[in-house]
Amino acid sequence: MLAELFNPYYLQIGCFILINIILALSVYVPLSTGQLSLASAGFMGLGAYTSALLTIHFDLPILVGIIAGTLIAGLIGILIGLPTLRLQGVYLAIVTLGFGEVIRVVFINWESLTNGSVGISGIPHIGREILKTLKGFGFNPQSMGLQNNQFIFLSIFVLLLIIAIFLVWFFRRQHYSRVGRAYAAIKLDEKAAESMGINITYYKVLAFTQGALLAGFAGSIYAHVLAYISPADFSYHRAVDILVFTVFGGSEVIWGPVFGAIFLTFLPEVLRFISEYRYMIYGIMIIILMAVRPQGLIDVNIINWIKSKKRSKRGVTHGSGSEKSM
Amino acid sequence: MVLEVKKACKNFGGLAAVSDVSFSIRKGEIFGLIGPNGAGKTTMFNLITSMFPLTTGEIVFQGDNINGLKPNKITEKGICRTFQNIRLFPLMSAEENVMVGVHSRSKSGVLSSVFRTKSQRKEEAAIRKRAKELLEFVGLDDFADITAENLAYGQQRRLEIARAMASDPQLLLLDEPAAGMNETETSELFQLIKKIQTLGITVLLIEHDMPLVMNLCDRIAVLNFGKKIAEGTPEEIQNNPAVIEAYLGSEEEEEYA
Repeated sequence: MLAELFNPYYLQIGCFILINIILALSVYVPLSTGQLSLASAGFMGLGAYTSALLTIHFDLPILVGIIAGTLIAGLIGILIGLPTLRLQGVYLAIVTLGFGEVIRVVFINWESLTNGSVGISGIPHIGREILKTLKGFGFNPQSMGLQNNQFIFLSIFVLLLIIAIFLVWFFRRQHYSRVGRAYAAIKLDEKAAESMGINITYYKVLAFTQGALLAGFAGSIYAHVLAYISPADFSYHRAVDILVFTVFGGSEVIWGPVFGAIFLTFLPEVLRFISEYRYMIYGIMIIILMAVRPQGLIDVNIINWIKSKKRSKRGVTHGSGSEKSM
Repeated sequence: MVLEVKKACKNFGGLAAVSDVSFSIRKGEIFGLIGPNGAGKTTMFNLITSMFPLTTGEIVFQGDNINGLKPNKITEKGICRTFQNIRLFPLMSAEENVMVGVHSRSKSGVLSSVFRTKSQRKEEAAIRKRAKELLEFVGLDDFADITAENLAYGQQRRLEIARAMASDPQLLLLDEPAAGMNETETSELFQLIKKIQTLGITVLLIEHDMPLVMNLCDRIAVLNFGKKIAEGTPEEIQNNPAVIEAYLGSEEEEEYA
């Protein structure tokens, strides 16, 4: 029975949705200080290649590879974030997009290390490693009524789900704190924020770096879920895809990018039966959205509306203080 | 002396927006900075808060030279300002605006914020309490949850004052706080600034509303075309021929009031 429920195909889509949520957050976090960064695909690539190469060539455990990939992306994030501080809006977008392309071209041309445009295959697979480890303890997925490959994808899915929930929780809490207020103040009026004692250099680089860390992390996971990466995975198209998750879902509240990633990862799969037209439909939807709801589908008003619904159901009125700590 | 401005000059290209201006402000006084439009008053504010670097000259705050410090460091030192064209954070509630003002007097970082350590929760509660007090102080306690952009104009001006006071400044710079206010609001503002003075906060005020300035200020400096043309008590300023000329024009020129 379980076996029918856990179709590896669905589970894999689930995994991609969760990876895409993390990627969408990597755009949302810098954007919450007003920095429109298109560098996520580049940082994702850095994370993926770092982790893949370390685990393949040095036989390091996947966990070490993922941590290294995340940190490398974060470190480069600081280096890119510092000089681009002065750029705003579309200018920052252009520079970060350029950065992503530079990274991709390096992957293509540094053939001795990266195998060029052929890409890297045979990357250790997280699910298989988990299975191997558990088998070492005498665990057998058949005892749960699952095939090996079902278990592999289920274990990745559960792991990613926990991580994604943790990250949403993390950034939600950060949002309702001194740091979150500083981010929002910088987004709304940089000069006024600076006059109120906020070190805008620090917080802008912090937000940019958090975005880089998230993208690097998602990239490392991506490498170990697909077991194969190539420079094409981290191209301009990926950068735009990631941006669209956040733009479509809305960048005012964290649920926007989360919703955008879920919906837009699902949509092409659901539309598979009219596969020739699906990207047309995708495009039309985005154009309509931009015209009708430029702030994205999920905005502050919707969240407040949902909250007020919940509140009236419970028949309790909260002060704004307790509401925010929910 | 709380603040000493020594021979401050600021050139924008060939234009001398402020040239050779010196004045000092004593602790606890309300000091007025007046002058016709374009006289360099707001530029002076921007120099004091380091939004622009000085071309030459020196600004000394409580004995320390503060030239070249970043604006956020100036706020940490104890100078905070309001803006002539209101610059609240429009999408935040009134309370959140004031809470941002407490930034330089609090220190929770990312990790303590996310994991809500004991000290962070204590600090957050203190920030909220401080914001409530200040909203009450400026008479906006009933509007704590209202988005700043939805407040009435006069309320926005007072919210800006509350936000600036949240950084516990020694010196508060008010840039035309009465602009666009009606008489009732202006007299409320008068009371408010007097109340701020009783807290021991020194106030530097730019204002065009002459009755307000003359009644409120202990001393006044007058700028015209970037130069200081007079300094003294309100009575002295009112009778200063150079000031009268700057405001009303000399006899040959067309009258402008």
